Amino acid sequence: MGRRRRRRVDPADAARALPEAIAVLTRTLPTGPSPETFRRAKFDRPEAAPALWRLLFCVLSPMPADGASPSLALEAQARSVKAALRFQGYPRRALAQLPDDGSQGGRELLLALAWLLARGPTLEQLLAQSRVRLGDEMPVCECESLASPGPAVPSVEADGCVDTRHLQWLMGKLRFRWRKLMASQQEQCALLGKIHSYTRGCHSDRSLGHLSVTETELLRDPEGGQQLLQRLERENVRLEAALEWRRRELVFWQWMDTVLGACPPEASQPTFLPEIPAQGAAELELVVRELQALQEELQAAVEPRRAAWEARVGGHGPEWSASRRALQEAVRQDLVALQWAWERGGGLTQPHEPHRLVRTEAGAPEGRGLQATEVIEVLRSREACLEVVLGQLQGQCRQELARLVGTLPGLIWIPPPGR
Amino acid sequence: MLPADCSRRLVAELRDALDSCAQRQRQLERSLRVSRRLLRAWEPAETPVPEPTPGPETDEKVPSSACSPSPQDLKELELLTQVLEKAVRVRKGISKAGGDKDPSVKSESLAASPATRASTRLRASGWTGSHASETKHPRGIRQTRVPAKDLSERRLVSVEDPTCMGRGARAAKVEPRHRSQQIVPLAAPQAREVFTLKDKGILLQLPMAFRKAASQNSRLWAQLSSTHTSDSGDAATTAKNHFLQKMQTTSGWPSSRLSPAEVEAEVGRLRKACSLLRLRMGKELTADPKDWMQEYRCLLTLEGLQALVGQCLHRLQELRTAVVEQQLGPWPEGRLPRASSPCGGGADTIRSPPLLLYSSTQELQTLAALRLRVAMLNQQIHLEKVLMAELLPLVREQEPLGPPWLALCRAVHSLLCEGGERFLTILREDEPAD
Repeated sequence: MGRRRRRRVDPADAARALPEAIAVLTRTLPTGPSPETFRRAKFDRPEAAPALWRLLFCVLSPMPADGASPSLALEAQARSVKAALRFQGYPRRALAQLPDDGSQGGRELLLALAWLLARGPTLEQLLAQSRVRLGDEMPVCECESLASPGPAVPSVEADGCVDTRHLQWLMGKLRFRWRKLMASQQEQCALLGKIHSYTRGCHSDRSLGHLSVTETELLRDPEGGQQLLQRLERENVRLEAALEWRRRELVFWQWMDTVLGACPPEASQPTFLPEIPAQGAAELELVVRELQALQEELQAAVEPRRAAWEARVGGHGPEWSASRRALQEAVRQDLVALQWAWERGGGLTQPHEPHRLVRTEAGAPEGRGLQATEVIEVLRSREACLEVVLGQLQGQCRQELARLVGTLPGLIWIPPPGR
Repeated sequence: MLPADCSRRLVAELRDALDSCAQRQRQLERSLRVSRRLLRAWEPAETPVPEPTPGPETDEKVPSSACSPSPQDLKELELLTQVLEKAVRVRKGISKAGGDKDPSVKSESLAASPATRASTRLRASGWTGSHASETKHPRGIRQTRVPAKDLSERRLVSVEDPTCMGRGARAAKVEPRHRSQQIVPLAAPQAREVFTLKDKGILLQLPMAFRKAASQNSRLWAQLSSTHTSDSGDAATTAKNHFLQKMQTTSGWPSSRLSPAEVEAEVGRLRKACSLLRLRMGKELTADPKDWMQEYRCLLTLEGLQALVGQCLHRLQELRTAVVEQQLGPWPEGRLPRASSPCGGGADTIRSPPLLLYSSTQELQTLAALRLRVAMLNQQIHLEKVLMAELLPLVREQEPLGPPWLALCRAVHSLLCEGGERFLTILREDEPAD
């Protein structure tokens, strides 16, 4: 009764630890199924399956950014989940064999969920994805998927042959859309600038200084403000649960071991190769082709230079070889740094998350955040690089076409003016 | 005409590009609507919980919570209004003679004559000046929310201006008229008239509940990121790894297999490698070596680049043989694009959002324009590569070198070399006439 239970874990406590841990987990998950679902899933009860399919779908698909996507039928969600898990390399075959209608498979789905949770900071990522954004945010990196969209959905119209003029028309349309986009963006920035400067001094957080559009909007529209507040509060609940989960998760993992143990062992699979979607394979081929082209060009550049060099190197003294070695070392380090640039994603100094825009007086004390001037510098150099690349590509095409046409006598090519 | 499969692929790519542009435009339009609305005149929301009014000064500025006016108050207002309407008319006559500064405002006020009476009624309430009964009014009127507020209040301001000796600032107009402090609270209904962010934005204040929730939110995020970086769950980490290991071994698949996600990530890295290597090669080729050292360095660098390209190609061959193309068929409607967001996949996401400081609208516009330009260039380069891959083979393959082929050449040239914007001219040299 009055005994202190400090060292020895009370069995009642231990028995409670698991359900409490699961309860905390469900609080932090986006569409938290009830803890009861987890228990049913361990015993592979069929009622657990639909809730877990939905949860997995939620976890695996990024939140739709603009507007709510129409909620899908369970079968479609199940198929998407299977595809996504396969894409991530989920090892268990049994999941792929589950029926799509959600009638069975509670245990397999539970294992899949645990696998996702164990592999990476899944919960934190989920929270970050659906995070309530209070400021006016601007991404600082280029990771937007503008250059590599998702798999091309075949267009609705009949797949007929098109003329090059149709392509030219589409490109013109694209150019026009970009121009419009630029103009709209400029206007939005001007408006943002105004809103920020008109509300300076209003924010309770002194480091921010002024209100953002979201915050001003909540003052204008109280209902919207209430909704925002509720979202914030819900997120706070989830955040607290996530923090508590860290303290309690050990018992969950011990339990998952037992769940895994309860599964019949899978027959060893015939070794077959992993699959990538067709679009990924096409991209691989594209990169191979580019690298091969680059290789040819490098070869064409190196051979004459090497020959010329060998011809020049006559008998030189020992100081010659010392400086040569120094140069070799310098070049080697140079290239290692270059290699690092693509292998480590350009170094960890590159910020990746969207930043909150804050208007300050020029010459404000540094150290509070990223300065717009720095980002502009980086972007300018990036722009210059890309323009060079594009110019090179176009030059390549020009040469190639000139070569192809040059075989024909009696033609005069007049390039377009004004470049 | 282009062959069917080529057409389909190219059209699909271009449509993708158009769609992503359209999506950005839609997002921008939404933000623009919100921002434009905020810069027009609007009513700051009444806080649902009446805030404790710290003092009369704040009362004047912060929109206070409303109660409906008592009929007694309204009657007294009526009386005062009639008295002061006369005064307004007199003053108007004087200031008109003195020259109008705001012709547009004048027309507005003229157009709103029925409203004018209501507005002067309100205005009159402010001019209770030295009446003894006014001690009751300040409180009542402070809490009064005039029913027909919107139009009349707006018109009120416009009527005000000419009588205000041409004072432009609407916020400032309240002060010079009223000396007595009792009048100050009465300004509250007037402060709620035409609210524009421009004039009164600095008077806004976020509601308390929101402030609390927001600060708790940022505190929790900070906690989440700090415990993440510290190794609070060593035992948990071990347990997790053990679990993953067991999953792998019981599944019967070799653990050395690459998941499609990993393959894709690696291909992406190698694509980036290609562009970096190409850029570097370009730099070396355009550099002009002045002495033997620079020449030697250039040579070594080029040879080093060659070796790196070879390594990358080798890796790609490995990936190619380790993987088979999967016909996934039509993607399910809820396709999961890039299951894990490429951005912020690490612990870095978990801080409170860092700040990006700008000092002028010009700077912000430059920044945004450059971002768009970089995105556009990325897209153009991607399209260029795709077009090259599809169209150049067509030009090469076609043997009959007649006019159709020339037309194709010209079109391809325009698409590939001029971005579809300009065309070259092809002239045929005719035999001399004689």
